[in-house]
Amino acid sequence: MASPIEQFQIKPIIPVLNFTNSSLFMVVAAGAIVGGMLLATRRRALVPGRGQVVAEMLHDFVASMLRDATGKEGMKFFPLVFTLFLFVLTMNMLGMIPGFFTVTSHVIITFALAMLVIGTVVVYGFMRHGTHFLGLFTPSGVPGWLLPFITVIEVISFLSRPISLSLRLFANMLAGHIALKVFGGFVVSLGAAGGLFAVLAPLPLLMAVALTALEFLVAFLQAYVFTVLTCIYLNDALHPGH
Amino acid sequence: MRLSAEFIAGVMAGGVLGYLVDGLAGTKPWGLIVCLILGFCAGMLNLMRAAGLAKPARYDEKP
Repeated sequence: MASPIEQFQIKPIIPVLNFTNSSLFMVVAAGAIVGGMLLATRRRALVPGRGQVVAEMLHDFVASMLRDATGKEGMKFFPLVFTLFLFVLTMNMLGMIPGFFTVTSHVIITFALAMLVIGTVVVYGFMRHGTHFLGLFTPSGVPGWLLPFITVIEVISFLSRPISLSLRLFANMLAGHIALKVFGGFVVSLGAAGGLFAVLAPLPLLMAVALTALEFLVAFLQAYVFTVLTCIYLNDALHPGH
Repeated sequence: MRLSAEFIAGVMAGGVLGYLVDGLAGTKPWGLIVCLILGFCAGMLNLMRAAGLAKPARYDEKP
């Protein structure tokens, strides 16, 4: 039986360029997003067609999320947030197709995306507010002797944000795909065991079907969570504590 | 899954920070020990904030 983590193996496709199956699916995801959006907005009508409705719904969904979290001035980050949401969502959804590679199940990919977000927050925060941005590490109403400890803990808590942001997405995708593979493996090995075991074989199959539905939910939900947290972190850069 | 990620991230950030401090200041192994404990605290703080038990961070408050 194939190992459940074999599906996460990185295989080179063009070794000279370091082009792997992971890169391939990132390119496919980017191509699918750009192609789909171009297709959807090709015929712009007042009464939208099906493709245009999907594109408009995605746009409004992300736009309202960003506006709720950061207010009106946060809308200048809309291209970044919208791109991140579509990229993560498309990679998660591509991973759900059997035989496809799940790019977001590698922690380095999600960590790079999270560092992009936190880097934007830090750079923009310092550009906009200067050293006042550092004020967000000192909570108000703390006795003086406790302040150094609290500040250090707050700094570490802030540093842990890109890690928790990337870990959440990565762990959910990894665990879901392993669970699916394990239940799929049960079907085969129970069926191959014969006799009474073969009668039981459809049970894990039912479980795998149910898990597939759950995984589609998780794939969307994690893209959503990633985007919501991105909006919340961008809010820090725009409005550090008053 | 979500809450565990918060806690693990706090400890990891503390560990990495301590390791870097040690590397830069040459204070092996005290930076790692102290920062790991502080990271534990930060992870606990993250956890309580995520669960809604502690006040949200100052930088998360709505303006």
